[in-house]
Amino acid sequence: MRHTKTTYPPLAHQWIALLSYIFGLHVAYLLVQLTGVILTPVGVYRFAQLWVSDRAASYAALLSVFVGTMIFLVYFAGQLPTTLSAPLYLLALPYFYDWSRTADFRGLLKGVVLVLAAGAVHHVTLIFGSLLFAIPVLWLAVVDRGEERNAGAVTIRALIFGGLCAAGLAVVLLPYWISIIKHPIEQMPIPHASRSNLLLNLTYLTNYFFVPYGMLIVALPFVASFAAARRRLRPLLLGFWVTFIFGLGGTTPLPKFLLGRYFDILTFERFTLWAALMVLPLVGAFAEQVIERHGKRAVLGFATAALITLLLPMGWMAVTPFSPNANINVDAVDAFLNRDGHDRYRYLTLGFGNALPKVSTYTDANSVDGEYNSARLLPEFTHYGTAQLTSAKYFGTSGMEALRMMLRHASHYGLKYIFIRDPYYEPLISFAGWRKVETYESGTITVWSKEDVPPARPIPSDAMPTALEGLLWGTLPLASSILAILFAFLIPDRARARSEILLPFPERELQGAYVREARS
Amino acid sequence: MKRVLLLTLAVLTVVLIIIAWFQSGGVERRALQLASTPEQAARLMLSQIQSHKFDAAYNRLANRNDVDENTFIREFTGSYGSLLTISSLEGFDIGVLHATDEEATVRAKFHYATGVGPLDDTRDLRVQRTGDTWKVVWPVDSRAKLPPQVIPVNYLRWDVISRGSGDDWGVQNVDSPQVRIVSMNAIQRPDSVVLVGEVVNEDSVPAYVNVGATLLGPNDEELAQESSFDKIAHTLLPRQVSPYRIDFPNMRLDKIKNVRMDAKALLIAASADPVIAIDQQKLETNALGKKVLSGKLTNQSGQIVSIPHVIAAYYDSNGKVIWVSDGYVAQALLPQTPVPFAVDLPPDVAKNVQTYRVIVNHFELTT
Repeated sequence: MRHTKTTYPPLAHQWIALLSYIFGLHVAYLLVQLTGVILTPVGVYRFAQLWVSDRAASYAALLSVFVGTMIFLVYFAGQLPTTLSAPLYLLALPYFYDWSRTADFRGLLKGVVLVLAAGAVHHVTLIFGSLLFAIPVLWLAVVDRGEERNAGAVTIRALIFGGLCAAGLAVVLLPYWISIIKHPIEQMPIPHASRSNLLLNLTYLTNYFFVPYGMLIVALPFVASFAAARRRLRPLLLGFWVTFIFGLGGTTPLPKFLLGRYFDILTFERFTLWAALMVLPLVGAFAEQVIERHGKRAVLGFATAALITLLLPMGWMAVTPFSPNANINVDAVDAFLNRDGHDRYRYLTLGFGNALPKVSTYTDANSVDGEYNSARLLPEFTHYGTAQLTSAKYFGTSGMEALRMMLRHASHYGLKYIFIRDPYYEPLISFAGWRKVETYESGTITVWSKEDVPPARPIPSDAMPTALEGLLWGTLPLASSILAILFAFLIPDRARARSEILLPFPERELQGAYVREARS
Repeated sequence: MKRVLLLTLAVLTVVLIIIAWFQSGGVERRALQLASTPEQAARLMLSQIQSHKFDAAYNRLANRNDVDENTFIREFTGSYGSLLTISSLEGFDIGVLHATDEEATVRAKFHYATGVGPLDDTRDLRVQRTGDTWKVVWPVDSRAKLPPQVIPVNYLRWDVISRGSGDDWGVQNVDSPQVRIVSMNAIQRPDSVVLVGEVVNEDSVPAYVNVGATLLGPNDEELAQESSFDKIAHTLLPRQVSPYRIDFPNMRLDKIKNVRMDAKALLIAASADPVIAIDQQKLETNALGKKVLSGKLTNQSGQIVSIPHVIAAYYDSNGKVIWVSDGYVAQALLPQTPVPFAVDLPPDVAKNVQTYRVIVNHFELTT
């Protein structure tokens, strides 16, 4: 396999590719996403165990199944890497804690390998999420160190952990770092609703606050009050607060102030996920206390709240203007591109929304458009604040200007065929010299062609990775994940390694004595 | 400690939200609702239109009893498949031209994002005081509605019979129509090199034409390649002439040794309908101080023209094409109903213009 892009950590996609040989592409994607979804409660449980009792941690894990932001990111935003890497980091944090607090070497080994795997899935979670989670955990390790240990030693061990992770990730993701240094993200910022002041737009507020948090919003004051009263939970409360503020995007000036120009590159819905995951241990502990006090009534209350939190995104999915439209049948488009040498030319889709990658997956023809914004290098994209050309109209004048510029350079790129699923684009395409040639899907998809466009030529670019980079890219991320799986099974955790204490089962006669005593 | 921490977090959150509220114009929005000045009244109405709150914008009109709500909404959302039907009001600028205590005139510049690119429109709005607030007086549509009528059509039409459905488009196995570039003029503009000229269909059948150009450097190396894009009428009937313009941004004439022109033609089905008359053409300076070629388009056919596109060629005293400009018309052309148009031209070019010629390209939105 020749790697042509190293602009995004590849692990999630490589697992999909591997599994697709057995299950097919669609099921492979589902399996990898399912892994992320299943690992989330496990990760939350392990993470929560650092802060609260096992019972409270189990509540946190259970409640994580209902968190709206997870549903939002999986079903709306298609954030597979975010939702897969977050639980991997959560699983790594207890090892980070163990190593920092007690110099548990197994913790160091397993933790570092898990961080490498998580970083190979998603870089933004690596850069921002890991810090937001790790700092409260380090604080906790210092608090929990006991009198016999030195706070400085705990911090030094944490730095060693961080240093090993940084060194490992520098190697595992080396082609990515080379690529990002060669081509730093300097394109015009692409507008994203998560960066806006959510209070000025009810739809955005619903999409990025009410739906992702659900009933957690109601619980927040109680949980904050609960956590503030407990010294051990304060680092987590503060960590949650910072992440929560970041998740609000432009609703507060803090993210823009701290991130500078990177504010306009990031999207902030992922911070909402991290904030929700971070607050769950506190919610679990709060639930434990309330359930102990109020019994079934409290259970009913939490169950109802969890259900509402789950149903909110599902209901929102039916009415939201952000609804993805990936269910378009693009078979005819791929069939057209794959016949009669049409794949000698490049193509463009307009109005295909999230079905854009479905077209490119099943054809050999190249497109000038693509899904991952930050990797784009063509000036027609980078000089305008627009995302995919297939959705150009949603970016107003910037989007349409980028489209016009791309169409003007059609001959240069060998862009001959345009597939339109939104009549909005037809006038421009027609005035620009394309002619409608075929119609598919009962007229909903039309094919347009331009006669004088020469076949596509390769575009020389220094962004192509070298053979060595390709080799590293194809082996190290996968190796890190396989190593993480092997370590999980082969190296027992310290808690599991503890010698078991056998308790004698109560004998029958003793139980009888209790009953007699109760009767008297 | 518990109370201090909680209070600190709560206060910090509120303070941060308030700062962002100020920064993102939340306070101005609140003030806008009062519409206590003519500018605020116009701004409020346009911001409501921008947010598609047409009912709210209509309800704030001073003369809403004289204005039909649907007609008002169609002013912004278009009708009959016009360009405004595939557009959205992206922004606006407001300036007060003059004001008294009771009445004012504000100039509103509308910036639309449309399916063919940006579109600007300028209107002078009358605003009047009603109690403590100001309200916009929307001009009443006084256009006469034509009675139902039958318009006989008598136009030429060319059809193409292909071999079968298996044919690939463009593979016609017939000779391409004869088209010829009759003129080409290279002009240095401040930020670009522009090629303007005309192309003619010399054949007896309609042609679908694209004109492209490649700039060559001193060693015949390719400097840049561009096409006429939408600055040409692609469909040319027999003997029809179209102006074309090809822009090469960030290019200097002195770097260019040669230009390779390329006119590709394809046989297509076409008809002479609809016939669009162009009347009252004149070069003038508009209200914004820009040089424009203005006039009126009248659709003389019976079918509606959804999106008209005006292309104008300007000639100097020697009959040489010295500029080509174009513009899309926001309104659809209804039969027999004149619609004004105006296309810009640079002031330095305008002073050398002796004559001009206008053609109208068009697109029919099918849905």
